[in-house]
Amino acid sequence: MTRADPRLRLAVLAGKTTAWASRGLGLGGGTTLPGDVARAIDPQVLRKLGASPRQGIVLVTGTNGKTTTSALLRQIAASAGWRAGGNESGSNLIYGLTAAAVAQSDLRGRMELDWLVLEVDELSAALAARELRPGILVVLNAFRDQLDRSFEVDQVAARLGEAVAALPEAAMTVLNSDDPRIAALEGGPNATHFGIEDRELDRGGLPESADRPVCPRCGGSLRFESVYYGQCGDYLCPACGWSRPLPTVRATRLLTIGLDHMELTLAGPGGGVGPVDVPLAGAHNAANVAAAAAAALAMGASWEQIRLGLEEFRPAFGRSQVVPWRQGQVRLLLAKNPAGMEASLEAVLGAGSGPVLALALNDGIADGTDISWIWDVEFERLARGGPRWIVLSGRRAAELGLRLRYAGLDGSRLLLRPGVEEALDELAARSEPGMPAPALLTYTAMLAWHRAVVATGGAQPFWTEGR
Amino acid sequence: MTGSSSLRLGLLYPREMNLYGDRGNVLALVRRAALRGVELEVATLGLDGGDPREIQSCSGFLIGGGQDLDQLALAHDLVSRKGPALREQVASGAPLLAVCAGYQLLGDHYRTAAGDLIPGLGILPLRTEAGRRRLVGNILIAASPGLGLANPLLVGFENHSGRTILEPGLAPLGKVVRGGGNDGDSGAEGAVLGSVIGTYLHGPLLPKNPALADWWLFAAADRTGAKIDRSHLDDTAEEAARREAIRITLRGSRSRGYRLLGRRPRIRRTG
Repeated sequence: MTRADPRLRLAVLAGKTTAWASRGLGLGGGTTLPGDVARAIDPQVLRKLGASPRQGIVLVTGTNGKTTTSALLRQIAASAGWRAGGNESGSNLIYGLTAAAVAQSDLRGRMELDWLVLEVDELSAALAARELRPGILVVLNAFRDQLDRSFEVDQVAARLGEAVAALPEAAMTVLNSDDPRIAALEGGPNATHFGIEDRELDRGGLPESADRPVCPRCGGSLRFESVYYGQCGDYLCPACGWSRPLPTVRATRLLTIGLDHMELTLAGPGGGVGPVDVPLAGAHNAANVAAAAAAALAMGASWEQIRLGLEEFRPAFGRSQVVPWRQGQVRLLLAKNPAGMEASLEAVLGAGSGPVLALALNDGIADGTDISWIWDVEFERLARGGPRWIVLSGRRAAELGLRLRYAGLDGSRLLLRPGVEEALDELAARSEPGMPAPALLTYTAMLAWHRAVVATGGAQPFWTEGR
Repeated sequence: MTGSSSLRLGLLYPREMNLYGDRGNVLALVRRAALRGVELEVATLGLDGGDPREIQSCSGFLIGGGQDLDQLALAHDLVSRKGPALREQVASGAPLLAVCAGYQLLGDHYRTAAGDLIPGLGILPLRTEAGRRRLVGNILIAASPGLGLANPLLVGFENHSGRTILEPGLAPLGKVVRGGGNDGDSGAEGAVLGSVIGTYLHGPLLPKNPALADWWLFAAADRTGAKIDRSHLDDTAEEAARREAIRITLRGSRSRGYRLLGRRPRIRRTG
């Protein structure tokens, strides 16, 4: 802003005051409401603030992995010596983005930042692209998620296409080669792709939760040569000949060690990195790291800076975070849709994670009010092995229990504990010393569990983490 | 029970019509059949299969929900290729449960918001037109007593923009207690005609409405003469999930308030 803009200043001031009041009154982190207030005063507030970061703005969107990928990017940026900020709390609708921008800005509406890295909801991505004019857009994937809200995966993909189309001409797109719907987006001359190229990760077929593999070009049936997670893998269309675009940044070797770290090798233009130890697990996270590396290269980072960033990275809120509860420890894992739940289950079972596991299912707005998706998850694998006890919690604990019985689990393994504290107590009591008991939680369940742990002094409020 | 009793479920288009956990319905039928001493075999009647002979070998049918494109892609196959044999089967009493998009496909036609006319099987005298507002949320209905369900309260989730209009004389499946139903204001939900039921209660409807699963199984057994144990089963887990869903549905949907705030993305979908 060269000229003073009284309306912008008022919007920023009001937004900041709201955030401060919201925290003071104990209403939560103030991660959305300040955005509402600021936009009510100046509808252009985000557009104006978006001009401020010195190097530019990166938007990260897609169904799964937004929070992790943008946290990775902010860490790489920090390790490269840039000042980077964003919406660490995960509030990713347009109001959340506005609240984050207001929080990062001074009272004159300026951000002392090199990069603003924001995760954005798939359905808000086009609007965010128009208002913020980002230099880089990262599109991760399109899975079934919250169908009560976003309805159909094809529509989500169409909205992601609108976001790409809304970008400024010089902007870069970073697209996932492995997800056919994303790979088929028209990224223009500045498109770059990332993907997995480690055949040892092949799961040998599409999971039940994957959608019918339709060729985005001709509508024919895609043939998968390998499947890494969800409907992501190596594919081609026998009907029209369209095939997976070759990624420029590739995860060439992945070794997952337990539930919380992996050794990953990346290759790409001008070299690569690894094996590097990253505190994340699973093929889906290898894709997130490859996405972050591709975006970081687009931002002008070197492979050396990327390596440094990955080594210094710590997982985002609720992504495999270990917290204490009474005499035990609990590992919180977000599992908000079939693909996420299956990835987390895979990681938990692969790690041989002890005698007890918790699942918590809520049906709040942020979780998706339709819980039908649990019937698409292959919980049958828990009938074949896994922890001796399963603690079931959340507003829809009973339906989760029914799902597990129909998956073939014996009722004696299921412990119905709908409340947060009773579930945590049960989990802690049955866990083995030194082995955090895993809990797979939908979004608001994660917030509730985290809040309970914060109340006992076991963790920091989530809006202060990662700062 | 002899244990040799068996039934065959014809599952229509499971690859395309499985949008909202429709697999749960198959699991429920297979499980309850087993508890009732019947082996339920599942035959997949997809786009690349399901010739008339295969359809004739089935004791009953199930069709789920799907995306618009899928509905368009299979409408022709359903109407022209599978239609005649299916019609014959249900006319002789084979149960057919159709959910969401599958329900729309049983009518005369479905006109989408884009103006496409998707032809239906015409088994049920009804038609569906695209509506302006989507009906999304938990739904509770009281099923018509004529069905003789052990428990007539059915609970589920609906998500559709289509408005389904029943021809005079066609009975609805039930009355809406909470939710939208066929059109959002007539108070009618679904349709029932002989051994055919169509409903907007989508996805995993049968696990937590075991009375409806039993309706399907008993009708299939009646049709084929298979021996089936009709005694009361221990439904403690099913009842717990039911009570939980009914409680949340009656408490009212917070999503409505959310919509008033104007923050809910408004997307029109047809299907």
